[in-house]
Amino acid sequence: MTNREIAEYTLDALKKAGADHAQCIVSTGKVDEFNVDGGEFSLLRTLFNSNITMKALKDGKKGIISANRLDKESIDKAVQECIAAAESSVSDEAEAIAPKIRNANFTAGVLEPDRDKLFDRIKEFVADVKNDYPKIILEQVISKYSSGESVFMNTNGVEFTYTCGNYDINAMFSAHEGEKSSSFNYYYALFDSLDRKLIDIGMQRTLFAESERQIDTKPFPGKTVGKVIISPACLAEMLFIAFGNFISDATIIDKTSPWISMLGKQVASEKLSVYTKPLDERVVCGERFTGDGFMSENMEIIKNGVLKNFYLSNYGSRKTGFPRALNLSQNLFVDPGDTSLDELIKNVDRGIIMNRFSGGQPSTNGDFSGVAKNSFLIENGKITHALSETMVSGNLADMFKNIIGISSETVCDGITVLPYILFDGITISGK
Amino acid sequence: MLEDKISKFKSVLKGHTELRAQVNTKRRVTLLNGNLVNNLRSEESGVSARVYKNGVYGFASSAEYSDEKIKAVLAAAEENAGFMDLHIKKNKPMFPSVGSGKKELQYTVKDVEQKVFIEFAKEIDAYISTKYPNLASRTVTAFSDSMEKLLVVSDGCDSHSLIPRSYVYLFMTANANDGTTVELFKPVGGFGYFSDIFTDPAALYEDIDNLYSDLMKKAEGVYCEAGYKDVVMHPNLAGILAHEAVGHPVEADLVLGGSVAAHNLGKQVASELVTMVDFAHTALGETVPLPVYVDDEGTPAEDAVLIKDGILVGYMNNRETAQHFGMKPQGNARAYLFSDEPLIRMRNTAILPGKDKLEDMIAAIDDGYYLIEPNNGQADTTSEFMFGVCMGYEIKKGKLGRAIRDTTISGVAFEMLKTVDMLSDDMVWLSAGVCGKKQPMPVGMGGPAIKCKVNIGGR
Repeated sequence: MTNREIAEYTLDALKKAGADHAQCIVSTGKVDEFNVDGGEFSLLRTLFNSNITMKALKDGKKGIISANRLDKESIDKAVQECIAAAESSVSDEAEAIAPKIRNANFTAGVLEPDRDKLFDRIKEFVADVKNDYPKIILEQVISKYSSGESVFMNTNGVEFTYTCGNYDINAMFSAHEGEKSSSFNYYYALFDSLDRKLIDIGMQRTLFAESERQIDTKPFPGKTVGKVIISPACLAEMLFIAFGNFISDATIIDKTSPWISMLGKQVASEKLSVYTKPLDERVVCGERFTGDGFMSENMEIIKNGVLKNFYLSNYGSRKTGFPRALNLSQNLFVDPGDTSLDELIKNVDRGIIMNRFSGGQPSTNGDFSGVAKNSFLIENGKITHALSETMVSGNLADMFKNIIGISSETVCDGITVLPYILFDGITISGK
Repeated sequence: MLEDKISKFKSVLKGHTELRAQVNTKRRVTLLNGNLVNNLRSEESGVSARVYKNGVYGFASSAEYSDEKIKAVLAAAEENAGFMDLHIKKNKPMFPSVGSGKKELQYTVKDVEQKVFIEFAKEIDAYISTKYPNLASRTVTAFSDSMEKLLVVSDGCDSHSLIPRSYVYLFMTANANDGTTVELFKPVGGFGYFSDIFTDPAALYEDIDNLYSDLMKKAEGVYCEAGYKDVVMHPNLAGILAHEAVGHPVEADLVLGGSVAAHNLGKQVASELVTMVDFAHTALGETVPLPVYVDDEGTPAEDAVLIKDGILVGYMNNRETAQHFGMKPQGNARAYLFSDEPLIRMRNTAILPGKDKLEDMIAAIDDGYYLIEPNNGQADTTSEFMFGVCMGYEIKKGKLGRAIRDTTISGVAFEMLKTVDMLSDDMVWLSAGVCGKKQPMPVGMGGPAIKCKVNIGGR
């Protein structure tokens, strides 16, 4: 059976088994993945993936089953379990499936992979690192081509098909000199063309060069409340943490978010504008429909510091009365500023530039603390030396209000497009 | 239970080849303020093959588990190994023997109905909402996962294994004294199926009451003073310290990737009070939280002693790294899903208890902190580690003071462990965590209370 036929069969079986409403997503795909360990090729891995996720609503009660076998016998078993799970559930008027608005078929990325050329590009990447950054050891490189087709259908007649394929690279590395070494760092990027060298994608070269300068480190001297420049790779992580705590289903539904009453109000510096843009041309294989069954659209989250939208699922929206998110992607964009990174650094009398945050899970109220990894001390407007054993702490909500500048440069990794941001008011402490 | 369709292929396996059929299940029910926001059952199953050829591997997997697909994944894995060998030409030798045999299934495979999870979660939620109506938010999750594997190898030990885990996760949020919120979290559970572990909701009431009591203290709590501090870590933190700070840097693949442990074998890396072991299936006469008897390369599992009396004495290996370092493989190669290749993973990593009493350890600190509950953690190949702490107290002049807000502690393990000067004579094991390293993996971790110095984040 095709994915579409499997989806049709599943919805029909769920209805016959007693579902009032139902939806399912059927996906199949293939992955060819090369692994490099300790700088040497180690593994070629081929996966034939399949998955079905079905949701049934019966008397306002939901059951969800996820499985990876698509044969009729397995689906029949999953359907029975899904109905049994729904029957045991708790009725909730907020549960629903998407209405039919407009069905569509989507195609994105590269659908005809060139495995041999990808292998050659990875070989070239390993050689480039050896030549251009001789102190770097590639602890692990995982690079793959993934392709697949997903079909979404529900009993309201919604139907989407999405066929896409992309390459990716995930490099983990550190720099070494004798028995001394830097902290490890990593970089992940998605791409849809093998026309350029992998080492030239996104921040990869910058991070290799910085790691080579992070072999000799010192702790931050003393303790201060001061300025921190957060790099694009680190910014993505901080934004995801903040949005998970402040604007997502759980803390909006239970009303513990500090931004629960801030929709339409100023939550950040006027300099800050944040979006999720799965449809932007720089995003590789971005989301085309949500898991709820709505066609994805780009969305403003914060515009000039004003909170424009929460990041709510359809359930979260119906539960709280706030609008649902127009997409549920992780394709974060932040508008660039009008100051170069060099100018931002010149603005810092005593602070740090942070490339990676290794911290405890921040509280719902936004309090965070952790280690500033792969980071540098800035003194009198100049980067002076690499840091170790340096901790940063503060509050994410306060931090967004305390932006001094945003770089004019942005970095694209195929998923996000982000600048450097200079924040003030963060506690920095050394050993 | 998995049907054995792979043993009949043992005679055709060449060189070093692993053939594995596997099923992973998950059950998750979450009640958020009484709303059932998650009601999920998932199952991932299939068959995979990995073939070693002159220093490189080929791997292939399929969700379909049939004789035809088993032949197909074997052929695809061989083809992939051939491609890599042709282009890379490492010309490395075959692995030394690890013996042979077969380890049969130790436990009975079960499937617990979803309504068991839902009804239990509802009773726990009702207890919390009735007794503690002033909470800002409450979440109850009833969860279980299981991993059943059938393994046939060309050279080594075949096995049929099962690791089921079940937990109830309790989250509470309260309004704090400064107008913000504070939260606390506690997992309860361990090895086994949900219906075997959780027979009576009332058995959790004491845990719930204690969690609420701690949360109320935290709501009145203070931020830590940032800096380098004397601390006593509760045994709940010892395991994550063992796992993050020492365990990861001594995984042999990370050693080859440049970990600081490469230069410290045979050297003093900790106080002589510290001995640390990655246990396979039995520790101090009892079965560990997540026992492993044979790993996914067919190596019989045995304990890996990592630090002995403060000296770094070993790494955790797979067969390839063991051959490289001239060490004995001890069963650390583990895969998460049928479609995952075995990686070097910890099993049940622990610092062994000492001879001190917790009250004496607290009394020995003039100005510091008693850290009780961890959340997440991360390690560096330099052995610099951090983990979050969500419950603890000040220590002032040898006595416990005010509760503290969430913080993060950090240090360089091979320096910080030299500051350990007291270890309690008891030990706590935890197994609710999932380690992340390309693939997730359930792991056990444990240890005693530890008195030492660490960096602490704060205001």
